[in-house]
Amino acid sequence: MGMKVAEVCGDNRYTARPHHKARLRITLFMVAIPLLLAFSLLLGPSGIGLPDLQNPSGSAIVSLRFSRMLMGLMTGAALAASGVVFQALLRNPLAEPYVLGVSGGAGLGATLTILAGSGVFFSLGLPVVAFVSAVLTLMVVYGIARQGSSGHPSVYSLILSGVIVSSICSSIIMFLVSTASVEGMHNVIWWMLGSLQPVSSDQQLLSAALIVIGLGGIMLLSPRLNALALGREMAHYQGLNADRVLVGGLLFATLLAATAVSLSGMIGFVGLIVPHVMRAIFGPDHRKLVPLAALAGGTFLVLCDAVARTIIAPIEIPVGVVTALAGGPFFLIILQRRMKQAWI
Amino acid sequence: MDLMSMAHDALSFRDVSAGYKQHKVLDRVSFRVREGEFISLIGPNGCGKSTLLKTAAALIKPISGQVELFGHDVQQVKPAERALLLGVVPQKIDSPMAFTVSQIVMNGRISSTGFWGNFSSSDHDLVERSMIYTDVLGLRDRYFTELSGGEQQRVALAMVLAQDPKIIMLDESISHLDINHRQEVLQILLKLNREERMTILLVSHDLTLSASISDRLLLMDSGTLVASGTPAEVLQSALLSRVYGCDLHVQQDPYTGYLQVSGAFESLSRRKRLGRSVHVIAGGGSGIELYRRLLIEGYEVTTGVLNRLDSDAEAARALNIPAVLEQPFSPVGAEAIASALRMIERADAVVLTRVPFGSGNLVNLELAREALKLGKTVLLADGIADRDYTEGRAAFHLAARLTEAGALGWQTIQDLTVKLQQL
Repeated sequence: MGMKVAEVCGDNRYTARPHHKARLRITLFMVAIPLLLAFSLLLGPSGIGLPDLQNPSGSAIVSLRFSRMLMGLMTGAALAASGVVFQALLRNPLAEPYVLGVSGGAGLGATLTILAGSGVFFSLGLPVVAFVSAVLTLMVVYGIARQGSSGHPSVYSLILSGVIVSSICSSIIMFLVSTASVEGMHNVIWWMLGSLQPVSSDQQLLSAALIVIGLGGIMLLSPRLNALALGREMAHYQGLNADRVLVGGLLFATLLAATAVSLSGMIGFVGLIVPHVMRAIFGPDHRKLVPLAALAGGTFLVLCDAVARTIIAPIEIPVGVVTALAGGPFFLIILQRRMKQAWI
Repeated sequence: MDLMSMAHDALSFRDVSAGYKQHKVLDRVSFRVREGEFISLIGPNGCGKSTLLKTAAALIKPISGQVELFGHDVQQVKPAERALLLGVVPQKIDSPMAFTVSQIVMNGRISSTGFWGNFSSSDHDLVERSMIYTDVLGLRDRYFTELSGGEQQRVALAMVLAQDPKIIMLDESISHLDINHRQEVLQILLKLNREERMTILLVSHDLTLSASISDRLLLMDSGTLVASGTPAEVLQSALLSRVYGCDLHVQQDPYTGYLQVSGAFESLSRRKRLGRSVHVIAGGGSGIELYRRLLIEGYEVTTGVLNRLDSDAEAARALNIPAVLEQPFSPVGAEAIASALRMIERADAVVLTRVPFGSGNLVNLELAREALKLGKTVLLADGIADRDYTEGRAAFHLAARLTEAGALGWQTIQDLTVKLQQL
């Protein structure tokens, strides 16, 4: 023990207690989330309000809205949390599931499954195939990036090879779509546009389990993500097994992104922007950032979906369109005002 | 595992070689650091000091040999236990995100806190104590990235102090500090060293400072340890001048008794007034370093005969050195020889570099013979036998005759500049 621990100040007032402003912000956020979710249940093609619950069709509508809400929560939480992890591990503000080719790989696996199969294998196989192909893609990306560097690839070569592999994946998807049957083409395109149409309950359950595993893993890693943000070398000096955190984090984040893709297709924007906005508001401490970003990502996607099914009802627009169109300006304003806190 | 046993050295290197696949940075380095010692690691840029630190911290695995921390192979020690033994303050840390100073310092407890990273009150006490020691408590809510380089260094030191290790290694970490905070940080390190028996290994470029605070100095040169001992033992003018490749003087301060190392600027400006000139016979890139040094030392330099495509010709043009050039792939003509001789007549000395000799440039050795006849001093780089590619070892025999006729030899550039000064 180098320094004798004396009472520096009895209550650790300097480092132990968060600022009252920070606490207020978290409290407001935790109050807003359930209100926003409840509000989304009220939105439907017929305007704001709950349908008659006594009526069987009314209760069916509410239960449909509820399961879409669950779909949105799961997908959004998974995308946002994986974005947080990719940005922390790569120490790069542009990192997200799409940049490393993870979404592209998952998308390719899912496309093959959709075109090939149906039935039980289809619904349960989709998340598994998506995850396996995402991990394989990540390994290819890592392997390419590693060429020429001794040991560990640089962030830039990782991102560069990620972008390359990602565009190869989407080219293959387009090729598969263009040569597919009309029905297959229709299925894949609808899935790619992104939608929170509830999948089978088996698949929902499996996906929920995978997302719980992914989020739990990331939560366990979150204190270590703070140290890794100062770089591999510094994290190593501080007694972390930096490579283990890096590989573990990448795997959990990949699991989340792949599960989200298999649930709801290619929904962009959430994995990139929600982490930034949450960091701008609540700071970069990953112990708080991971759960807050997951909640915010889920709620944001649920709201976007409510807008998507309402705004030009009875026509429903793909939720992926709404995320960027509606969320973009809103998040831009927040980021502009708190840019310094987000990422310097 | 009892890591605390006192029978062991705090840190020991046994025949350690380390580096990269193609390029070995540490070459069979051995030394021992006892617990509670204050050591400075000195040596010129690129001599392997940072690699040595990284190897000690198990960031780099040695190619051969063994590094021990308190008697345990550092490669076998668990990361969290290693962090309790050894902390490293790097040259610079950068945080890509807007972490506050206190969040950064709290990272120092990362491997000692539980799986969820929960802080006990003694963790907080350590963090706050470290911040008070390093005078960064007032900065606690500032963003780390907004601080000046020196403030960031103090925060980095606070973070490593919060880690509470038994050895602290600082990689040139105090060079960015202003004089006030440098004194303060050194005071902290000395206090921890004296009162808590903390072992300190400081990589430093300030030889005078290192001499005044260290128990022992380790001097490195191109990947090897060339000296280890008390400041008085290591800081020898001749040794330092050889390792750093420049003229250095060591004096004892009459008031404090500390050793002071200083360069020789005065003699440099005196030479410049003399306007001495040197003609360099080079080729194949062997002249570049010599041109640079001679110009810095204040000599007027001329060079030739060089092949027009030679890298030395390129360097001479870049450094504005008058040069006699000849077309590539052709024998040196009478005109070129005549202008080279005119240059030699004006020069005080003629230096031959480690240029390899073949039939094409053998004429340059003839030029050196002419220079001797003109009464000039001729300095011939040693080891000509190894770079003689002429038929019948013509260059070697010619060089032998030059030496008989009074040409001097030289080994290192340092050696050469000393000989030139004595003219």
